[in-house]
Amino acid sequence: MKITEEIKISDNGFVFNSRTGDSFNLNPFGLELIKQIVEGKDFEIIRDVMLDKYDVDDLTIEKDFYEFCALLKHHQIIVQGDPLDFK
Amino acid sequence: MSKLKYEKPVISKITAGVPNKFGLPAKQKIISEIDGIPVPELMEEFGSPVFVLSEKTIRDTYAEAKQAFETRYPKVQFAWSYKTNYLDAVCNVFHDEGSWAEVVSGFEFTKALSNGVNGSNIIFNGPEKSEEDLTLAINHNACIHIDHFDELYLLIETTRKLNKKARVAIRINLDAGIYPIWDRFGFNYENGEAWNAINRIMLTENLEMIGLHTHIGTYIMVASAYGIAATKLSNLYMAIHRKFDHWLKYIDLGGGFASKNTLKGAYMPGSETCPSFDDYAEAISNAIISSEIPHENLPVLFMETGRALVDDAGYLLTTVLANKRSTVGRRTMVIDAGVNLLFTSFWYNLGVFPSKEVSSHVEESTIYGPLCMNIDVIRDAINFPQSKVGDQLVIERVGAYNMTQWMQFITFRPNVVLIDLNGKAHIIRRKENLDSIQSFEVKPEK
Repeated sequence: MKITEEIKISDNGFVFNSRTGDSFNLNPFGLELIKQIVEGKDFEIIRDVMLDKYDVDDLTIEKDFYEFCALLKHHQIIVQGDPLDFK
Repeated sequence: MSKLKYEKPVISKITAGVPNKFGLPAKQKIISEIDGIPVPELMEEFGSPVFVLSEKTIRDTYAEAKQAFETRYPKVQFAWSYKTNYLDAVCNVFHDEGSWAEVVSGFEFTKALSNGVNGSNIIFNGPEKSEEDLTLAINHNACIHIDHFDELYLLIETTRKLNKKARVAIRINLDAGIYPIWDRFGFNYENGEAWNAINRIMLTENLEMIGLHTHIGTYIMVASAYGIAATKLSNLYMAIHRKFDHWLKYIDLGGGFASKNTLKGAYMPGSETCPSFDDYAEAISNAIISSEIPHENLPVLFMETGRALVDDAGYLLTTVLANKRSTVGRRTMVIDAGVNLLFTSFWYNLGVFPSKEVSSHVEESTIYGPLCMNIDVIRDAINFPQSKVGDQLVIERVGAYNMTQWMQFITFRPNVVLIDLNGKAHIIRRKENLDSIQSFEVKPEK
């Protein structure tokens, strides 16, 4: 899973896709998550970071992470090789 | 070191379109308590979903309506519209405030009697009155509002059988500038049908004509329409006096006042656009007082307002069951209260609010009920903050019609709770269970 080259992300959570012309807003948690995806971290690492930092359980993180990734894919922000593999 | 508060990650597309003149509210409204009782406390004690009614709001709203009319017109009498909400505890609050009962079936008539309402203080409306119902009404000296000629002749026949007099009024449909005209109830004013009916009644020995009634429609957003209706009824009132030298006792303008709910498709919220009680009272009182009717013979003004008196007092507390994404990425949410409990969700954009501080990030969402039915949509489109499973939400302004038009379907109907003036919550209708449903069923013997 990786962010497509045309995506630009500002520090305040504004996302622009120069290929489609679409723009997006991220909430602070979405911004934090996408930054870690940009860094190439896989889910297990991201989950552990979030669990250390936030008052949340692992199942909630997992559920929200994959829903978030599905949205990123829907908006053509990430490309994914194998549709069954989010790593 | 304590951990930071977590919030669900969200990305939302920025869409260019028609600018919203009003923008988003600066702050998400939250309903954390009802009459001083925290929402989680109510749901822990009475379950989810649960209807909650505020006695204080009912009484305050009634007082507001009463004041609006009584400061403008000398003789006003409210009659509580049973079909709007006929839970005994609710009816009794209105009766305690001085309301008569306005009923539209034999069932509602007996319910009003069982609530201690004197038969002569019951207004019997509606197109369905059997001989048995009419007998009950005549024996209790109720005000029978005749809907059609067949009913008129059935009533004449019933009074003959009983050898008793019936106190009657007729229901009149008329053009008050509200379209489509509600012409299915009563006798028409413009084509002379109402005048014919009045003449027939006045010539019948066993019928005592005491009033005129109209109900111009529901959720009427133009107060002046009531003025037109009141003028037409005043004309008939005087015509009866001229021809028969008979003063009627009352003019009944029915119900139909809008509540503050927002109709689907409305541009502005109902709380901004609906007339106030003062607006309605001004239109009606002015029309009657400025008519030909001499002041010493002014009729009592009956009002059968239902929706506007009780809608604001009702809340439905519900729980988030699931969050989903549609195939187009739209956020959807499933809650544990469906359209079978919220009949009014078919025509209102009901207000749905969180019960506690939530994320400031709102996203356009669809809210579904729990029924395995595609039509179970509580809100098509609502800007709503992120919620998680188990979050408690409050749906406001559901006091009118939902607790009478609801249906038992797939799930049980929930508890209904009334919070009294002392801030104490009472169950006024228990949640159904398997026994209560099956008690009506009979298995054929093999």
